[in-house]
Amino acid sequence: MERVVVIGGGGAGTAAATITKRLNPDLKVSVFTEFSDIAYSPCGIPFVHGREIPSFDDLFLSTVERYREDGLDMRMETVVTDIDLDRRTITTKNQPEGFDQLILCTGFFWEQPDVPGVNLDGIHYVKDIRKSMEFDQQLDAMKRIVVVGAGPVGVEMAGGLAHRGLQVDLVDEGPWVLHEILDPDVAKPVHDSLEARGVTLHLGTKVEAFEGGKDGHVNAVVTSDGTLECDAVVTGLHKVPNTALAEAAGLKLGTTGAVKVDDHMRTSAPGVWAAGDVVEIPHGLNMIPIVGLTGAHAYAQGRVAAVNITGGDLAYDPVWVPWGMVAGDYTIGGFSMGENLAKSIGIPYVLAKGVGITKARYYPGAQKTFVKLLAEPDTLRLIGGVIHGGEGVKERCDFLAFAAKRGATLYDLAYMENIYSPPIGALFEPIQIAAQNALAEQRQNKLAVA
Amino acid sequence: MMSGLSDARRNLRERSEKHLRLAVLSELGRDQPSTVEPYKAKGGRLWSTLFVPVYRRVPWAAKEKAMGALGMTASGWKAPERKPGEPWRPPADMADRVQHGTPPARDDSAS
Repeated sequence: MERVVVIGGGGAGTAAATITKRLNPDLKVSVFTEFSDIAYSPCGIPFVHGREIPSFDDLFLSTVERYREDGLDMRMETVVTDIDLDRRTITTKNQPEGFDQLILCTGFFWEQPDVPGVNLDGIHYVKDIRKSMEFDQQLDAMKRIVVVGAGPVGVEMAGGLAHRGLQVDLVDEGPWVLHEILDPDVAKPVHDSLEARGVTLHLGTKVEAFEGGKDGHVNAVVTSDGTLECDAVVTGLHKVPNTALAEAAGLKLGTTGAVKVDDHMRTSAPGVWAAGDVVEIPHGLNMIPIVGLTGAHAYAQGRVAAVNITGGDLAYDPVWVPWGMVAGDYTIGGFSMGENLAKSIGIPYVLAKGVGITKARYYPGAQKTFVKLLAEPDTLRLIGGVIHGGEGVKERCDFLAFAAKRGATLYDLAYMENIYSPPIGALFEPIQIAAQNALAEQRQNKLAVA
Repeated sequence: MMSGLSDARRNLRERSEKHLRLAVLSELGRDQPSTVEPYKAKGGRLWSTLFVPVYRRVPWAAKEKAMGALGMTASGWKAPERKPGEPWRPPADMADRVQHGTPPARDDSAS
């Protein structure tokens, strides 16, 4: 029987394994994971810490037994230490195991702060649900937490821990939170919302060291702006692709340091595939490879690998990266890129800005939604955007990423159809308003290229 | 093992991104409420005083060509079909792909 080995039990690994088995039940599909759990949502961890979700049990979607019942060979708590591409074997527990096809879904690890004291106890990384359960129990006896890094996980953890009633200091070198994805014109409502929850922001501030007591547990964070006492530290810096196995096996890595794959999720070695946070994927606008995508991307890539392994021909498209989250209590999102990234790369653009409302103006709970779209100056083709405030941010960002992928222009969006139903949508769609505003500026020759 | 060329590409990307981004953060955030100056580590003067201004003077089309020539863009991928004004059409072999389509998603994966 032909054997497919999947290394990794996250979104990409579970998708690749389950779909491969479903498409071809005759294959032996083995999943190797170093963890004791599978099929849970790590994205939900900050909200359990924040007591917005009652229990970690709610994050589990399935069980190892269920996967076994589906015919998968589940190797839990089993670390793969080596891949031999010539012999077509992996090594676990000093024993070689053969494979015909291999799918690498080894995910990521969190970047560690490069400062003294980083190995002290009490410095927590949000990834493994078992460690998060232990940390959650310890939090009951804690009062003050320092969160290092104001990226998405750092912001969710800071907001969640403050919601739980803890005193939270959020430290980041950047000039506003989420500065790698968010434009500065959205900084104020996000900062206001986090501060309203009780988070103290320390921006433009570098972490210089972690200090601990005789017990080896962190008790302070030394920063460029003074020392912050704490009972624990949560870090939320960058995701780093976990490429150790791939690199040792001789697979090609790309300019981000992640594994290079083609649009079928094939690596540089025959019969070896990769998906999820361990790979780099080109951005749809400029074909520059990027990393740090979402669980939804990982699952979709695992699916593509599975289809192709079982004889299909399915290509994964370059990505337009819709994203969204709640920072404090304020909803933000975007797709592709904002002004911040477009200016950094040097892509010329014009702006379309508009403010709409989430429900009919007379319906209780209507909120303002702010839309900023970036478009190519000559064609007005959509290249990116940021949306914030109120309901529907996620859906608008999903739609716009798809529209951009299909080459939509501001002309298309200015005359798009929309739902008008008082409880869920106003007469004028906020996206349409932004595009109409840009066309009006163009008619008056006021649409400036940035 | 990473080759010397791969290392050089990765290094070039890391450093150039860092300094281009730092310059933009300062500029964009300057007049916006609730923002501060980003923390600036010592060093990298050559990047900020020479590379950033020169990079900005180069037109985007030339930058794109240079990135392609330097191997900074993806290979093994189709460039996206994006012709404004033309409706999107599925690839010619879509029917074959659908025949070998994937089963519907089940609520059993990690996210």
